[in-house]
Amino acid sequence: MDSVNNTTSPVPSRVKKMRTKLAAFFLMLYRVYAFVMRFFKEVFLPPYEFKEVIRQCYETGVRSFTLITLTGFIVGVIFTKQSRPSLTDFGATSWLPSLVSIAIMKALAPLVTALIAAGKVGSSIGAELGSMRVTEQIDAMEVSGTKPFKFLVCTRVIATTITIPLLATYTAFIALLGGYLNVSQNEGTTYAVFMDQAFEPLTFVDFWASLIKAIVFGFTIGIVGCYQGYNSTKGTEGVGKAANGAVVTAMFLVFIEEVLIVQIAGWFR
Amino acid sequence: MDTAENKRSIIVGVFVLLGVAVFVIGVLTLGGQQKSFVKSIHISSVFNDVSGLKKGNNVWFSGVKVGTIKNIHFTGPSQVDVIMSIDASTQQYIHRNAGVRISSDGFIGNKIIVIDGGSPQAPIVRDGDVLQSEKLLSTDDIMKTLQQNNQNLLAITTDFKSLSHQILAGKGTVGALLADSTMGNQLKQTMRNLQAATQNAANMSSQLNNFSNKMNTKGGFADNVLTDTITFNRIRASVSRLKEAADNATLLTDNLNKASNKLNSTDNIMGVLLNDPKGAAKVQSTLDYLQQSSVKLNDDLEAVQHNFLLKGFFKKKEKAKQDSIKKAM
Repeated sequence: MDSVNNTTSPVPSRVKKMRTKLAAFFLMLYRVYAFVMRFFKEVFLPPYEFKEVIRQCYETGVRSFTLITLTGFIVGVIFTKQSRPSLTDFGATSWLPSLVSIAIMKALAPLVTALIAAGKVGSSIGAELGSMRVTEQIDAMEVSGTKPFKFLVCTRVIATTITIPLLATYTAFIALLGGYLNVSQNEGTTYAVFMDQAFEPLTFVDFWASLIKAIVFGFTIGIVGCYQGYNSTKGTEGVGKAANGAVVTAMFLVFIEEVLIVQIAGWFR
Repeated sequence: MDTAENKRSIIVGVFVLLGVAVFVIGVLTLGGQQKSFVKSIHISSVFNDVSGLKKGNNVWFSGVKVGTIKNIHFTGPSQVDVIMSIDASTQQYIHRNAGVRISSDGFIGNKIIVIDGGSPQAPIVRDGDVLQSEKLLSTDDIMKTLQQNNQNLLAITTDFKSLSHQILAGKGTVGALLADSTMGNQLKQTMRNLQAATQNAANMSSQLNNFSNKMNTKGGFADNVLTDTITFNRIRASVSRLKEAADNATLLTDNLNKASNKLNSTDNIMGVLLNDPKGAAKVQSTLDYLQQSSVKLNDDLEAVQHNFLLKGFFKKKEKAKQDSIKKAM
């Protein structure tokens, strides 16, 4: 086709490259769409791989727990500490619990959890499935009659979709605890007063928005990691690219989703 | 299912359970804050201006959070109907004549609805009641007052400026005081005089103090007057007599007054003599006649002495007189 076009109507090479890139982009979009549709098609159909889902929950959730706890605690302490001078200028340090809770519950908890998970879990899924792809283990599974998509992709995406909201909940709690320790140390605020003030400015819309955000982030991290790994090529180099692509794309999408969900949640306030 | 797999499943189960538990606790805490899981009633109030009040803002009664804003919508031409969800447990304290106003949680805090007032005589508020709204003192109103204060301040400072110019120019009493050295000296002199007067007053006060001390001296007159009952009785008797004398003097004065009044009138001899010129002329002429009569009588008596009938009598009388003088010598 291209050779025919070249001979009949010569097109400048720059436009040709653009067309090729556009075509590749739309093709990639279609593949992603087809991948996601396949996931939704297969996830509800038996057989259900419960054991594998539990194993993946353990790998993605429980194994990330320590990292998430530490990160959440540090985020809570640092955010509280850094916010204090600005509030002190207004003589409003009593607003620290409210400020910290708004920041953590509305944005930081799901976002920090998603970014940590994208780095740890997303890259792990990408690399794992990528290596399985390049070593033709996936092909072997297909040949042997095992449904690799259901076993490898659906279980991992379900696991991330379940565990990341749970991890985000932990992060919120631990970050609030970190904020409380800092506030308690400096202002002498009691735990009851801190929690009362922390939940004061929050609404159920914030709560549900954060939960939905965490679920969407979990799904995104899982599906992106699986897509990158499942479709990796070019041998061992492809494994690295799959891991890297899983992290970068997942993080990028997480931020875009953050903006969209915040916008949508605003309509319900 | 091997042991490791079992262990993994249990850990995942605990992980999920904990996560769900934390989430549920969060939901319940938030629900408690928002009064979502408590029985509530809905009351409303209509405002002309809600100043940015939002759904979910708090409702306070006597400084305690009793509910949240459930809904806000326009009503009438341009008014806003604010529907509040109130905790049913606080219903008994809110009365129908309570006022509702929009306030702020701190100086720059969220807008809140404050329910206050209400008398126990009024019935308790019920679901669907509409409470009377009170006018909000908005930031604009505060700014208007501040602007007025600024204008007043400007006027005052302008007056002060004019005043200071006049003072610097030596006008007015204060200006003259500052500019005129003579007046300054006079003022100094006045101050000295005042100081001297103060000194005198102090001395007088000291003397008064000494005097009062003396009055308190045991056995002194004042002390006796104040403490000795005998002396006091004597003084009282003296004063009583003095009073009688004064009464008599008053009586005497009254009599004298009456007499003098009579002397001033012409209805009595003395008054006529003193006040009536005609009467006086008559008396004068009478006296003149009397004098003339006495002269004539004298002449007549002289003539009688030389009368032969009485001549012997007068010679005997002269001789007896000469004899008594000789005997006395």
